[in-house]
Order: sequence, then structure tokens, then C-alpha cells
Amino acid sequence: MWAMIVRRLSVSAISLALLVTLVFFMIHATPGGPAYSILGSHASPQAVAALNRQMGLDRPLPEQYLIWWAHLLEGRLGYSYIQHVEVSHLIGVYLERTLILDLAALGLAIAVAIGVGLLQGYLAERIGGRIIGFFQIVFYAMPVFFTGILLIYAFSMQLDWLPPGGVGHTLAGHARHLVLPVLTLALPIAAGFSRYFGHQAREEYRQDYVRTARARGLCEWRIATHHVLRNAVRPFITLVGMMIPVLFVGGVLTESVFNYPGLGWLLWRSALDQDYPTVSAITLIIGVLTILGNLIADLLNSMLDVRVRYE
Amino acid sequence: MSEAAPRRWGFLPLLRWGAFGGRWRAQPLVASGLAVFLVLVAFAWLGPHLYTISPYAIHPHRLFRPPSARYPFGTDDLGRSFLARMMYGGQPSLGVAIVGSVVAMLIGLGYGMASGLSPPWVDKVLMRLLDALLALPTLVLMIFFAAIVPLGPLSLIVLLGLVSWPGLARIVRNEVLAYKERDYVLAARQYGARTAYLARKHLLRAMFPIVVVNATFTVADLILTLAGLSFLGLGIQPPTPSWGGLLGNGSNLAITGSWWLILFPGLAILLAILSLNLVGQGLLNRLEGR
Repeated sequence: MWAMIVRRLSVSAISLALLVTLVFFMIHATPGGPAYSILGSHASPQAVAALNRQMGLDRPLPEQYLIWWAHLLEGRLGYSYIQHVEVSHLIGVYLERTLILDLAALGLAIAVAIGVGLLQGYLAERIGGRIIGFFQIVFYAMPVFFTGILLIYAFSMQLDWLPPGGVGHTLAGHARHLVLPVLTLALPIAAGFSRYFGHQAREEYRQDYVRTARARGLCEWRIATHHVLRNAVRPFITLVGMMIPVLFVGGVLTESVFNYPGLGWLLWRSALDQDYPTVSAITLIIGVLTILGNLIADLLNSMLDVRVRYE
Repeated sequence: MSEAAPRRWGFLPLLRWGAFGGRWRAQPLVASGLAVFLVLVAFAWLGPHLYTISPYAIHPHRLFRPPSARYPFGTDDLGRSFLARMMYGGQPSLGVAIVGSVVAMLIGLGYGMASGLSPPWVDKVLMRLLDALLALPTLVLMIFFAAIVPLGPLSLIVLLGLVSWPGLARIVRNEVLAYKERDYVLAARQYGARTAYLARKHLLRAMFPIVVVNATFTVADLILTLAGLSFLGLGIQPPTPSWGGLLGNGSNLAITGSWWLILFPGLAILLAILSLNLVGQGLLNRLEGR
């Protein structure tokens, strides 16, 4: 068990180190170097040289690489020349909003997927099960920016029930502003999860123990919650780990549609402003969060299921 | 020489449906998905020949007209025919994604085969590198590049190809590891076949079905990524229309109640992704049922 955890941790550490290196090279592969991105392509060579000297970009690449690591370990992610602040000061509050949105959407998606999946497993090939299957495929393919704008059009513009975007100032206001973004982000994830979970539940419904339970006269509700759910829910954690990139990509687009000032929204605005230090810092953070999310999913999975012992 | 030439392209017959072991009729998912996608392709490339109104012609006295006989998809904020803009917009939306996924397919195939055929320690290093690459979602990477350099259609194709191959590379590598131990490959090795020969002659063939399936999903993925990027104003730049860009413009104008500027581009993107997912899923079912 412990050997496995140490192994898994070291694999993630290597991936993290490679990720940091990768982002470093992505920044330095820019034509003309980062100075041109900051000053614009019409900058005079003198201005570029001065900025390069100031930022230490005239030093040899290996040295810059070590400095990049040293800064990261100090928690310094770079300096935004557009907003005139350390990027790490920006991140905190935006990251919190993103985590609220993403976790709310993930929780909703899991809850819906379990309910729908159990129903689908129970209905199997009957017409109801087929209809559920159809909507799963459609909603899974639905781009979040399309869903989001449709919801805004219906519930904000036409019905005027909910705000079309932004954040609230009171707790109730926050909640009201979160309803549409959470629904938007949860929809494709719930569709993906429930498709998988429904398949799993269907397999379980075919097992002998379900027939035995029915023969014993247990009600369907008890069979679903006490028998099928327990056995079908196990692979869910791995699935959550796999869905993390989908969650982040969906999050970036959802936050942009609803002008919800989270990390994804900041990434978008910074990209439009060509604020490359902020963009590269957020790219790095999303990569780190993805690797950590997968790590947590794997560890949880191995703790819950003793059969998973990695190769 | 005339006999050698066809053998060199011996994997080409696998392009036929037979590689997936079925008839078109037996595959409603694949057939219907493919039909919808071909309709969209025809809409984008044949449509402009039938409906010849320019997508750039501005009419200040015909702004925000709802769909009518003359303008079946209505007009936009500059009075341009929205049907024409949807047709022309389909070309970069679909074309860039299709060509980009071919680039991704070639890189992924090469990397996956190289990794699978390398000594175990090289394979391990290459796989760790893949983990790091896979931690960065395609859209996030594209936003990163869009922030640094302005992107045109050509650079979009190249970059989309460059960022979206790791998933395929991993699948190909796992397949190579599985096929490497098959009797016929081991037998060929016993006869003194070199690794390069094995890769070309036996493994490439074996990879073909799974690569086709994956390429289908990759095209769908890239359509979504490109649409998202253009929606954010970082992909295809106006006045050149693209479905994502049109949807982005439509959502900025949602306050005017012009539902057609949202519905049509959104549906086009949805249908393109949906149809390709159906094709991919149908092919995958077929492969796994084999």
C-alpha cells in the first residue's frame, strides 16, 4: 500500500517537473522572445534590449531555467505588465471563485448522473432507457458556450428570472449568480457520467444477486440503493479524475460566457490583452491542478478498492 | 516494378469498410452520423455555389431581419445575409479541424509507435512526457499561444495538430505493446525482420482501425476547440466568418432578441460534434465487439 502511494507520488512529481519545464520552453519558443509580446511587435530594438536586460532575458537559457524554478518555489509566478501586479496576487481570489463553480458543477453532475444512471440501468432496453440514452449523447456533444447563451437568452433576457452574469455581493446574490453557470457546466459532465454509470448499472441489474433480491421480495428502491448502487459506483472516482480536463476547459468557456470572474475568465481576458505572464501562470496552474486531481483520484481509488494495486 | 507498387500501399484496402468487419446497413449509428456530417460539409462547400449572396455585403437598411424567404437565416447586425455567413463560416470551422487532426494523427502515430518499439526505459520517459502534455487541455494551450502570437488559419491548423496528438499517441503505444507479442510479429522477427520493417509492414496495418476511430473523435474535439477559441475572439478573426465567431457575435447581440444569430451557429457546431461522435462510437462498438 505505502509502496504504491510513494510510487504514485513520484510519478506525479516527475510529471509536474516536466510540466514546469514544458511551460518554460513554450514561453521561450515565442518568435522574438517574450519582450516582443510585452512591448508589441513595433517596439524598437533598444527598448527590447533594455527590457530583456531588466527581466534577465539576456542571460543564457540554462541560467534562466534555474531562475524560473527558483521563482516558482518562492511562489512567484511572474509580473503582469498590463495590470502592474505580481501574478500570484491576482490568482488567489480568482482561483477561489473557479473552485466554487467547478466543485458545485461536479457535485451536481455526480448527483444527477447517479439518479439518471440507476433509472437507465433499471429501464435497460425499454423505451424510457433509449430516450435517456439519446439525450445523453446530445447533451454530451453540446458545447457549453451554446448551452450558456441559450440559458441566458431564456432565463435572463426573456423571463428575467436570473442574472445573465457577474457575481453577487451577498450570499443569496452569489447563489443566484451561480445557478446558470453551474447548470451550464454540469450538463455535459452529467451526460458523460450518467452514460458510463448507466451502462455500469445495467450490467449490475443483470447479475444473479439482483434476481435473488427480487425473489426475496425486496422493493425496487432498496435493490437500487443497497445493491446496485454500491457495486456500480466504484469506478466513479477514476471517471472523475478523467473528467478534470473537461471540467477546466468547460470552466474557462462557462466563466467567459457568464462574465464570472474566475481563473478561466482571467485567462481569457489576459489572452485578449496579450498579458502573457498572467496567461502562462494560469496555464501552469491548470496543468498542476489536473495532475493533482488525477493523483487524488488514483489514491482514493486504491484506498477504496484493495484490488487496485498498480501493475 | 508494377507489382511492387500496390504492395507498398497494402494497408489501403483497410480504408474499406471491411476493416471494421461490417456492412453499412448494419451500422445505423455510423451511417446516420456520417450522413449528417456530409450534409454539413456540403452546406459549407457546395452551399455558396447555390446561394450566391455575398457574406460580406453590408445593407444598413436591413439590420436584424428575422428569417424570411429572401434571407432564410435572417440578417445580422450589419445587414449581411446570415445564411451566406453560415455557409462560408463552415469552411474554416470544419476544414481547419479536419486538416489539424490529420497533422495530430501523423504525430501521434509516429510518437506512439516510436515509444512502443523503444527500449522500456525510453518508453517510460516518453510516457511521462505525455502525462505532462495531457495535463494541459487543448483549449488552454491554444489560448496560451493565441495570447503570444496572432493566429491565422494556417497557424491554427499547425498548432491544433501540435497540441492534440498526445491522446492518440498513448492509445497507439498501448496497441503496439499488445501487438508486439503476437505470434505473427514474433515469427517475422525470428526471420530477421528489422524493427522499421515490422513497424511499417505489420504494426501500421494493425493500428489502422483504432487510428481511424480516434481521428474521428479528434476531429470532433478540434471542431469544439476551434469553435470555443473563435467564440472567445481568439481563433478565426472577423470579418472572416466561422461558426464559433458567429455564435460569439450572436451572444453579444442576444439583448436585441435576435435568436437566429445564436440558434443556427450553435446548432451547426452541435450537429458537427454529435455526428462525428456517433461515427466514432459506432466504429468503436464494432471494433470492441470483434
